[in-house]
Amino acid sequence: MSIPKTSWADDVDELVSGQQEDDNIRTVIEYSVNEQGKKVKITRKIKRTLQKSVVEHQVAERQKWEKFGAERGNARGPDRATTTVGENVYLTLSAGNKLLQSAESEQQEEKKPVKSTTGGKVVCRLCKGDHFTAKCPYRDTLGGLENAGDTGAGPDDDTVPPPDAASGAGPTGSKYIPPSLRAGARGTGETMRGPGGGNRDDLPTLRVTNISEDTQENDLRDLFGHFGRVARVYVGRDRDTGAGKGFAFVSFEDRAVAQKAMEKVNGKGYDNLILSVQWSQPRADPK
Amino acid sequence: MRPILLQGHERSLTQIKYNRDGDLLFSCSKDHVINVWYTHNGERLGTYDGHNGTVWTVDVDSESMYMVSGSADNQLRLWNVATGKCLYTWEFPTAVKRVAFSEDDKQVVCITEQRMGFQCTIRVFNINRTGDGTKQSKEPAHMFSPVGSKATVCAFTSQPGIIFTGHESGKVALFNYKTGEEVDSNERAHGDVVTDLQMSPDKTYCITSSKDKSARIHDTKTLDVIKTFTTETPLNSAAIAPNKPYVLLGGGQEAMSVTTTSLRQGKFETRFWHKVFEEEVGRVKGHFGPINTIAVHPKGISYASGGEDGFVRVHHFDESYFKTQPYGDLQIED
Repeated sequence: MSIPKTSWADDVDELVSGQQEDDNIRTVIEYSVNEQGKKVKITRKIKRTLQKSVVEHQVAERQKWEKFGAERGNARGPDRATTTVGENVYLTLSAGNKLLQSAESEQQEEKKPVKSTTGGKVVCRLCKGDHFTAKCPYRDTLGGLENAGDTGAGPDDDTVPPPDAASGAGPTGSKYIPPSLRAGARGTGETMRGPGGGNRDDLPTLRVTNISEDTQENDLRDLFGHFGRVARVYVGRDRDTGAGKGFAFVSFEDRAVAQKAMEKVNGKGYDNLILSVQWSQPRADPK
Repeated sequence: MRPILLQGHERSLTQIKYNRDGDLLFSCSKDHVINVWYTHNGERLGTYDGHNGTVWTVDVDSESMYMVSGSADNQLRLWNVATGKCLYTWEFPTAVKRVAFSEDDKQVVCITEQRMGFQCTIRVFNINRTGDGTKQSKEPAHMFSPVGSKATVCAFTSQPGIIFTGHESGKVALFNYKTGEEVDSNERAHGDVVTDLQMSPDKTYCITSSKDKSARIHDTKTLDVIKTFTTETPLNSAAIAPNKPYVLLGGGQEAMSVTTTSLRQGKFETRFWHKVFEEEVGRVKGHFGPINTIAVHPKGISYASGGEDGFVRVHHFDESYFKTQPYGDLQIED
């Protein structure tokens, strides 16, 4: 596992670099200047362990063979041009058929019964299944995350039970209901005043799907900002990894601007994917 | 586990094969090159140059002395494994799609493609192992053309004179190559072309994969279908893991879903299924394209997969693979 020193020759400059060997751990320290012009100290600790294995005599003989063909004349040991170590992959072996990953099930045509795993406390708003809305396997077919402006609670939607159940339980004090969902949620002081009187809920909002994982809020703001003022952008993200989930909501101040943006961007290529733009929730008239 | 990536090919892999001791891995590809690698660290030992077309298939004998390869340039070549030298070349009217050594290393069976008036033909050659191996007979010891659907895969069975074949129609059959007659067949074994055939360590059963999205285990004597594994993608390869009750399946992806959805890179997976319970138990991601070929180390300590992306990924199983028993600790008796 030794890395030849020559490959770092280009990086080494300025401060003193060195290496030392203690036991089996080789510590190599180098100083260099990184892209932002800052001095960087890079410490590499390489541990070499000797692995002994007992093999057949023939196998041991084969290890001594000379290299041939395109490898003729090459030294012992793997060549980094042909052999590299990949990232860790995990193989978790577990019984049963419940190994469908959400990415694959997006393409399902027939609905498969989703077994209850949370005991009825979590209800998906789309299919009423026993999972968070964000984890719903029928996201695509049933219309994705509901319009963020509907309940006014934004990205925290999936931790809040549906409004009906909530308001009913309110007076009896069985569950905490956030202010935005209580009766009279639209009252003053509870909601943000949008510019010139447009509340978050009233903004014309487009739902953009099939965006790439790397697409950020700013990218969409720039893309849609071309048509007019963008009030708000929300990019759906995986809660744990932060990776994009492939959809976003863009709210405009002006409905006509939103309409024009939708016509222009729908079907347009962006980062190697074809974007799909619709009004968020079919409440607004589609074109 | 950390896979070792072997980047010796510029085009997609067609077949990979471990030698009997498991220390060498042969890989062949559409880029006309055959590579051989040490499996313990992924170091490349050498290449076998000489073919002028896609190398469809390789096989190595049990002593790792000779290797045969079949290519789209209509040649079957015999190579010296240690030196990389081509010992003999057989020429045919059409491409060679599959080769296999017999268990005693004395015979090689090959299938040539059906094209332009030439029928699909199965030939068995006797290999002269004395001397340096360059003196081989030009003519096959046996030759016949299977009637009906063309054969795509074949292998020797433990019965003398009998080979197991898989066909384009999904049929599997047993042929007596000495007489050329079909001893037994199962027309409905698969619904679409049989893409791969691999024997169990004791040769009493074998696994076939097919484009009909399923893999099946057949008894090599009676052609009974013992197990069926149904997946959602067409399968290109299937292998049986020794010492553990698992089979490994690899394949492509539904054509429709390839570029129209934002799938993450490295999503093509090798699937692990339980051999007896016919259920999927795990998946390993990593390839950037459909998996074309899978091979397992004869001792079951590692496996390798070759993909359309030109990479061979060698995975050495870690402790958890050997200890996990997803269905309880009842062991399958041998």
